[in-house]
Amino acid sequence: MKKRYLALIVLLSTFLFGSKADSSIWGTDLLTHILEYDKEGSLHMGYWFTLIQSTYVKPMLLFVLIVIPLAFIVHYLLIGPKRFSHEGRSIMMFPLFKRINHGIAAISFIIIVPTGIIMIFGSTFGGGAFVRFCKEAHAISAPLFFLSVIPMLLTWFSRMLLSPKDDLRWLKIVGGYLSKEKKPVPAGMFNMGQKIYFWIVTLGGLVMIATSVALYFVDFEIIRPVLEYYSLSQIDFLRISALTHNIIGIVIVAMFMVHIYMSVFAIEGAYKSMVDGKMHEEEVKILHSTYYKELQEKGEV
Amino acid sequence: MGEFARLNFYCDEHRCINCDGCSVACAEAHELPEYISRRKVITMNEGIENMEYSLSIACMHCTDAPCEQVCPVDCFYIREDGIVLHDKDKCIGCAYCLYACPFGAPQFPLDGAFGTKGVMDKCTMCAGGPEETNSHAERELYGQNRISEGKVPVCAAMCSTKALLVGDSAEISDIYRERILSKGHGVKTQPYGWDVAYGKKM
Repeated sequence: MKKRYLALIVLLSTFLFGSKADSSIWGTDLLTHILEYDKEGSLHMGYWFTLIQSTYVKPMLLFVLIVIPLAFIVHYLLIGPKRFSHEGRSIMMFPLFKRINHGIAAISFIIIVPTGIIMIFGSTFGGGAFVRFCKEAHAISAPLFFLSVIPMLLTWFSRMLLSPKDDLRWLKIVGGYLSKEKKPVPAGMFNMGQKIYFWIVTLGGLVMIATSVALYFVDFEIIRPVLEYYSLSQIDFLRISALTHNIIGIVIVAMFMVHIYMSVFAIEGAYKSMVDGKMHEEEVKILHSTYYKELQEKGEV
Repeated sequence: MGEFARLNFYCDEHRCINCDGCSVACAEAHELPEYISRRKVITMNEGIENMEYSLSIACMHCTDAPCEQVCPVDCFYIREDGIVLHDKDKCIGCAYCLYACPFGAPQFPLDGAFGTKGVMDKCTMCAGGPEETNSHAERELYGQNRISEGKVPVCAAMCSTKALLVGDSAEISDIYRERILSKGHGVKTQPYGWDVAYGKKM
């Protein structure tokens, strides 16, 4: 009996301490990595990470945060918002499930985006408890985003597929946002701009989630076989993850700002369909003309 | 120590006997928590005859400290004598310093709930941190401050074969040269110097 008990303790302690002993960063891999350090054929990821992180990431985000709002101000002053008649019939565009889904994503983004920006400009905020709190909030709201991104991808997938005829024409006239005229814009249920945003946020978002898990846990063994297959060390994988996370992150910040400007300022009152899911007939007729024709054919309008 | 002295570690690989005394002394002196090892002894070319040698590594206190460059909250500072230190009250535990470091010197206690990383911990060359020198707070956060007392860092002080040297780089290279000359033969490896992590060699 005593022997069995002892064996159990030994077994448990090997799991507890044995697993920790061979860390994927500070364990035996550290040695191979030091031996490879600066040698020819190594990825030099330490060098690239240091260079890009120290000199490019902050200015890139600063550029986005200054230039995009400036562009909005110019657009608002020169062209102004599109106003559509809010009288008459409205068309149901987003059923409840999609609205809840979008709502969850919206809440997560409202936390993730500013906290991410605060972390990149951490030194401006003096570091310490506040930035640390933002770091935890950033991490906690990630599962919330994950919760919404999968159904979003599935429910909107077919509507978000590119339809070259409309989309190229939409791109050519930039969705008609550069003129004050109310001419029908070639677009289905979603226009090219929305499609670009959708694919960046869903596919890019999945990459963001994958890299965030790596950056959060740092020292793990699960993907070791995959890394070994590509002869990549854990630390280089983390460096690549951090760079990818920050660069895609900056792109998403830019797209998110455009998304908000579009729904709040560029098309007056468009954000209201977040809650009721409806769009007024004139708005659909002009901004989503192909979709309107589709509805006409079905006899729904 | 000259006016422009820069403190450096140097581990004489002909003398290191892989006893692990330095890392144990370090962990004991600074009362480090479990899984935090500021100093480690590693064996290079293990199993290859005549090529095997051991080294003690920790933070190398690089001149171009890449950790300091990438830190988003600028918690690092480099003392005049070249010691790279950091402010744990500013650190947010993002681990970017670990990604920048060629040696995996920064350590992170996994003390939070759900595996969140605590603030970073690394070798201070026994020089404490930004808190008042030899205060209770400094000792709690960074361990002993032996440099302020004019003592050698504990790892080098207790090294039984005096393989681990610390001090002004010029003086260390003098000691190393003397050793090589008195030995005269059988030198297996080239002596290495440590200054910058990335840059001139790329």
